Amino acid sequence: MEERKIIEYDALVIGAGIAGGEAAINLANTGYKVLLVEKDHSLGGKMILLSKVFPTLDCAACITTPKVSEIARHKNITVFTESEVTHIAKKGDNDFVAQITKKPRYVRVEDCTACQLCEKACPVSVRDEYQFGLIGRKAAFIPFSIANPKAAVIDIENCTLCGACEKACPTHCIDFTMETEYYELHAKTVILATGFNLFDPLEIPRFGYGQYKNVITSMQMEREIAPTRPYNTILRPGDGKVPDRIAYVLCTGSRDNTVGNPICSQICCMYSMKQAQLLMGALPMADITIYYIDIRAFGKGFEEFYRQAEGMGVNFVKGKIGKITEKENGNLIMRYEDIAEGVVKEAEHDMVVLSVGVKSNPSAGKIFDGNSLKLDPLQFVAQQDLLGSPAKTSIDGVFVAGTASGPMDIPDSILSAGSASSEAISYLTRCQSV
Amino acid sequence: MKERLGVYICHCGGNISDYVDVEKVRAAVEHEQGVVIAKTTMFACSDTNQTDMVQDIHEHNLDGVIVASCSPKLHLTTFRNVTERGDLNKYTYVHANIREQASWAHSDDKLGATEKAIRLVKAAIAKSRYADPLFPNQFEAEKTIAVIGGGIAGMKAALSLAEKKSNVILIEKENQLGGHTAEWGSLFMTDEKGFELTARIESDLRKYNNVTILTGTEVTDTKGSIGNFELKIRRRPQKEDDPMEIIELHVGSIVVATGYDHYLPKQGEYGFGTSETVITLPEFKQLVDKSAGKSLEFNGKKINNIAYVYCVGSRQNEGENTYCSRFCCTSVIHTAIEAKKKFKGIQNIHLTRGIRTYGKQELLYAESLQMGDLYLQFDEYNLPEIRTEGKKTVVTVKDILSAGKEMEMEVDLVVLVTGMVPRADQSIGTMLKLPKGRDRFFNEIHMKLRPVETVIDGVTIAGTCQGPKNISESVNSALSAATKSFSYISKGTLETEPIIAEIDQDICSWCDKCSNACPFDAIEQIETGGRKVASVNPMVCKGCGMCAPVCPVDAINLIGYTSEEMMSMIDALA
Repeated sequence: MEERKIIEYDALVIGAGIAGGEAAINLANTGYKVLLVEKDHSLGGKMILLSKVFPTLDCAACITTPKVSEIARHKNITVFTESEVTHIAKKGDNDFVAQITKKPRYVRVEDCTACQLCEKACPVSVRDEYQFGLIGRKAAFIPFSIANPKAAVIDIENCTLCGACEKACPTHCIDFTMETEYYELHAKTVILATGFNLFDPLEIPRFGYGQYKNVITSMQMEREIAPTRPYNTILRPGDGKVPDRIAYVLCTGSRDNTVGNPICSQICCMYSMKQAQLLMGALPMADITIYYIDIRAFGKGFEEFYRQAEGMGVNFVKGKIGKITEKENGNLIMRYEDIAEGVVKEAEHDMVVLSVGVKSNPSAGKIFDGNSLKLDPLQFVAQQDLLGSPAKTSIDGVFVAGTASGPMDIPDSILSAGSASSEAISYLTRCQSV
Repeated sequence: MKERLGVYICHCGGNISDYVDVEKVRAAVEHEQGVVIAKTTMFACSDTNQTDMVQDIHEHNLDGVIVASCSPKLHLTTFRNVTERGDLNKYTYVHANIREQASWAHSDDKLGATEKAIRLVKAAIAKSRYADPLFPNQFEAEKTIAVIGGGIAGMKAALSLAEKKSNVILIEKENQLGGHTAEWGSLFMTDEKGFELTARIESDLRKYNNVTILTGTEVTDTKGSIGNFELKIRRRPQKEDDPMEIIELHVGSIVVATGYDHYLPKQGEYGFGTSETVITLPEFKQLVDKSAGKSLEFNGKKINNIAYVYCVGSRQNEGENTYCSRFCCTSVIHTAIEAKKKFKGIQNIHLTRGIRTYGKQELLYAESLQMGDLYLQFDEYNLPEIRTEGKKTVVTVKDILSAGKEMEMEVDLVVLVTGMVPRADQSIGTMLKLPKGRDRFFNEIHMKLRPVETVIDGVTIAGTCQGPKNISESVNSALSAATKSFSYISKGTLETEPIIAEIDQDICSWCDKCSNACPFDAIEQIETGGRKVASVNPMVCKGCGMCAPVCPVDAINLIGYTSEEMMSMIDALA
């Protein structure tokens, strides 16, 4: 049995995306000490990787980085990156014991200046997961330019231990002797902000993702239009051509029983329209077609955003995609049912974006004893009192924030995080006064 | 005068540098008097750059910092805090907006945008030389919080504050709590009854003795600002001969949860008011909830075929409600399912504009399809028509799901799926000066990241007064608003910005022009040495500067924008 360091905080927040971050800030601003645990190398979750956000078209980096910076600097918040909560036991009210595994980064963050000399020295190239595979990265790398903490990481799975990075590092912050650390945390309340997974389009072979290079996911397109984009322009990956007939396939992996996901993902209509508008700005000559079942522009300012996209010339086609096939020149033939005309049609596009949906991240269910944390049939964290107290879970003192409980957009995640932190503060107050 | 200035020019990841040549801006200002370092940066707001700035301040012994980036609304506070971490007075920081004012405004003229950016940065440098250290005003804050509106959002906000041991006053204009939610029977997603949900929250609320519930009361006047609001409220007589009661309250923060009104169709809109068989969604919900028996009856007539016309009062093509009301698709589908399960012989025909059962609500739509409900779809240019032929009600619609075929059907009842509209009574918003959006609901500070805070410090917005929401969304919003209101004042002391107006009372001769110009009622008349002069309330003044130019004797100075600073900026811009 490895040795565990014993630590103590008022609240444990699992997941440092926008929901977990907001919940942590609310608790910390009220004076509680928070441990924020993130499995990835950076704070900011998926939002920090986006281009702009609907319907305000704010640059996502511009509004996420200050928030992330506030979290990282807050005197009441301690952040653990590369860390996972492996088990939580509830011993009583205000008494949770969590086991945390903190993996080594092999870089001393406080000494790293993110000079990138290790990146240059490293001979190993692998796919860059933060650019969703569009380009490569090294095994010694800075996760992405606005990552927080901004420091190098050694990808030990792919590292050949050649030592080139160590020699190149001017501050000697690379340390291969680092080991996994184990912690036992005593906390009074827990907030689950474990987020969501993107639907994997390989599950729908007829769309040709993974087989046809010019079929990409919406997250890949998100990276192509982000300020820190990999190609510095918009290209189709097959041959580097600038696309001029781009198609969006909405409901990829959503509202689809054949892939076991009957629900609507709530965000894809809007982010696709946003991307379409940004693409029209970047490629003024390009035609953009959005194939949809229903357009769900339900939030504040969304319907107006939809009208704006129509006004800009985005072509909306109410149609279900049957199959996508590739031509020799890399263009794609979409076979679809045109619902307005009631006929099956074909259309040619030179790039296809699959608007992939939101799937649950069931990991939170496994960390509690037995089945004490209830999940819903789609493996989202079940909300015990959906209408009266949406943040309450099946365990008193454990609350859920953001997409861990189901699909939602950024403002709804913020509201849900506000709700979870409010419940957590009430719970802490109630138990302290007994 | 400051002599060691640091200037940072932001690319904003292309938002600025795509149009403004940031390197040229940097070169143009690096030799300005007092500039010690001038740098460009991809994202000035990023953590790395912030750390670099703090390091620069120490290493180069800077006494002033200028960042040229986006609007100060976004990042003024960010960089003030950086300056403070560098051990400088944060109010000496000067911000230049070269995104909204240069790159975005002149994206068609890159040279011009660059030239304008250079001048803006030079002006900021000029101001920075004269920027004096300032210190925030501190004062005591009242810890009681008022919640206005006793619907589901207001009740939950009050309850969550009570749980946090805050004193709460819940103000409701009706004689009972519960709002619209208490009107409903079965609710979608859980099938709990609306009045039972509000009853259980109310009973929780009444367990706390730190909650004062004032029903039958209305706010008639508000004064003051964060930490110290004065509310005047009028309570209707509880018994017949009682007088009208006027109560004055002193609170530190206000949660506004005034809710929505149901859209009321215009006379004749889809036959509303002219045909007896046309009713609204709330009326239909009540009918389904309250009817017993094997079949559904309306006005003594058995109902079999029901047509639901969606988006009545929402997503209007002609009309001011361009927004989607968000809850109605799911609500009507749920009620239609209820009706079918409860009564014999119901056939539901939905005339929609595209179904918006987002998220898990989709499962209700799937259930309705499985139960055999019919769905037709129309667009905004071809609305369905409803006409009465003798005793018959006939609906025609051009259905885009069947290649635009004209459909005609005889129905027993038409349900107009009406949405949410902002409250007709906007008095609270007017009193508190809350800004409204194009949709006429109250506006938050930032739609994405700060959805419950408003530009009026200390006032938060909860539930549907901010925009259409379903119940669980309203509750999330209410708890968020309560938490923000709580964190504003829970410490009991508050700091406000030092940038406010000050009056030279030796020169002032009280003409009341400044107090008329003040949008925040921050200027009052006082007597000093037998003379009437103006005085600024530092807790209320926002430093907007409206008063300074109207003073005929130039007695008003805006701290942080002294004549010296402004004249030097104008010189640099010229």
